[in-house]
Amino acid sequence: MSAAGRSQAMHFHARAGEKVRNVGLQRALQKAKPLFVGKRAKGIAALAEDGLDFELLRSTGKNIRNRTLADLDVWLDIFEERATASGAEVLWARDGAEVSRLVVAIARRHGVTKAVKSKSMLSEEAQLNEALAAAGIRPVETDLGEYIVQLAGETPSHIIAPAVHKTIGEVEALFAKEHGRPLETRSSADIPAMAQEARAVLRQHFLSAEMGISGANFLIAETGSAALVTNEGNGRMVTTLPKVHVVITGIEKLVPTLEDFATLMRLLPRSATGQSISNYVSLLTGTQREGDHDGPEKTVFILVDNGRANLLGSDYQDMLRCIRCGACMNHCPVYFSLGGHAYGWVYPGPMGSVLTPLYTGIENALDLPHASTGCNQCGAVCPVEIPLPTLMHRLREEQNERGLRPWSERLALTAWAWLAGKPVLYRWFARRAARYLSWLADDSGRIRILGLAPAWTAGRDLPVSSGRTFQELYSARKKA
Amino acid sequence: MRLALYVTCLVDLMRPSVGFAALRLLEATGAEVFVPEGQTCCGQPAWSAGNRRLAVDLAKKAIGELERYDAVVIPSGSCTDQIRNVYPQLFAGEPEWEARARNLANRTFELTSYLADVAKGGFDTPDFTGSVTYHDSCKGLRGLGIKRQPRELLLKVRGLSLKEMPDCEECCGFGGAFSVKFGEVSTQIVDRKCDSIVAAGADAVVGCDLGCLINIEGRLRRRGDETTRVLHIAEVLAGGSEC
Repeated sequence: MSAAGRSQAMHFHARAGEKVRNVGLQRALQKAKPLFVGKRAKGIAALAEDGLDFELLRSTGKNIRNRTLADLDVWLDIFEERATASGAEVLWARDGAEVSRLVVAIARRHGVTKAVKSKSMLSEEAQLNEALAAAGIRPVETDLGEYIVQLAGETPSHIIAPAVHKTIGEVEALFAKEHGRPLETRSSADIPAMAQEARAVLRQHFLSAEMGISGANFLIAETGSAALVTNEGNGRMVTTLPKVHVVITGIEKLVPTLEDFATLMRLLPRSATGQSISNYVSLLTGTQREGDHDGPEKTVFILVDNGRANLLGSDYQDMLRCIRCGACMNHCPVYFSLGGHAYGWVYPGPMGSVLTPLYTGIENALDLPHASTGCNQCGAVCPVEIPLPTLMHRLREEQNERGLRPWSERLALTAWAWLAGKPVLYRWFARRAARYLSWLADDSGRIRILGLAPAWTAGRDLPVSSGRTFQELYSARKKA
Repeated sequence: MRLALYVTCLVDLMRPSVGFAALRLLEATGAEVFVPEGQTCCGQPAWSAGNRRLAVDLAKKAIGELERYDAVVIPSGSCTDQIRNVYPQLFAGEPEWEARARNLANRTFELTSYLADVAKGGFDTPDFTGSVTYHDSCKGLRGLGIKRQPRELLLKVRGLSLKEMPDCEECCGFGGAFSVKFGEVSTQIVDRKCDSIVAAGADAVVGCDLGCLINIEGRLRRRGDETTRVLHIAEVLAGGSEC
């Protein structure tokens, strides 16, 4: 199925309403938001204590990403050559379906019946779990959040905190059911015990799986390595215990050198979780060498396009700088009103409002570029200075250019702009409008229900003036 | 100094008192203040909707009306952002218009940044009894870097105490057409802003953009808060909301 076929982004508007009214979801989100924002703020502040300037780091990070993208083909060639020289195999996939075909073929060749996975949003783009299951191979997510989401039969709602939409109580009930134990064995807030329980289950999977599948936070061209940034340690299990390791990642994740990687690592964990560095940072190169105690016998990199190459040289190339930290959604008032599922595809929040239309078709995600107040809280925190509101705005323009906006909106805008271009008529009309609004208002000067904009007055009053426009009062005063 | 006051379409229609307050403040700085009669709207709604053609038409109109003044002052960060930051991007391939847009952009100021940084006082602020909390509007804050100026001006008002709210830089959820296109989401966001305002425990919430203020006042009242006053900063600095 094409990416657009699976996307539910066209239902954003309807889903938004459901999400706003979902009490459990709202509780989970309101609890998470201050944690995300507070931890990042502390992490950034700590940079200054180390004598580092965040704004300078940001622009350095941006330049590294831009430099790589400018010559992406060259860096990819170098990566392929070095990775191959170190004993890995490098494959290329045009889209998600091709990723699935390649992974299933590798699994069959090596007699794989179970694959353990560490977090990979690209595998969500490819719908890899479904493809593996259909081929009789059991995919097991081992990131705790991904594990929860997989048990619940859901998709991640956040790129670094996949189960952020769930309350502790919901997870406790899910674990009790799926792990076959009674619910009332302990207080539902005992998070360490719950993590321990998942750990015991996952340990068996790590030991018995024949294949490990991971993403990569970065690919490093000069060494042909994948860099993995994790906190739970599951990434190391996935990439070292099974005999086959498959890395699936987008072609844009490349950086030229280890030095560049080190710079970006100053930005990524701090922007994501506020950590100066994540608990684990792994650089994975080649296969198990003689004398190594662990490591895969076979390593395959699958480098995926799935719409990325189209963005090179386009108005949207800036988006390819993204290092997937999640800061944009963590600071987005819309994301924290809805959670990630409302966005309908793999990537939620501001980055999703840009990527979903670009990767699944502008006509398949019409609401998303408009699902923003234009506050630019996302652009202000982005560690590689992606101008997210500008990109959303460009998508809005493209919708107009391609005739994808509803006729009612076009008509209303055209009529209003025509009127605004005729000052005398505009002033007359504004006077009438002021009278009308004042007539609709109650004694306290507020409109409770406005037929012209019911979406406004459903949750808010509309305070109005006394029925005279500024221009009207001003010209009367001048005459007096 | 010939100075144009651009009142904004929202102030014209919804709250003329803000325009008169801004007028009093600017006159008090000693400038010769004009209110260009032909002014309507800066075109931001068209721009936000992604309709560049209509945005260009209205930008040309505004440039033609406003460029003859030494400076233009607007009691709104949002409309100022449109003229300062958007207008110059609208005319790629039309160098003459681009130059005129830049020229206007450089001489256009949001009210508090004009009062604090350009006029640097010169006007007396009346007394104010009570405490206020200040909401940083998005375009003013992140588009124009306005953070210090309104606070500096508010702190000069005798009798006024400033009580910062938590998350004062957080969006109020207005976003122009967003508030109507996604009414429920917008309400959810402004509800959180109202929580912050209540947490500050001030007598009034003050801001620099009428759009945000109408949104906040509308939600506060719907929640049953009839006492927290919602004021544009011009109304506080010029004393009262009479026309």
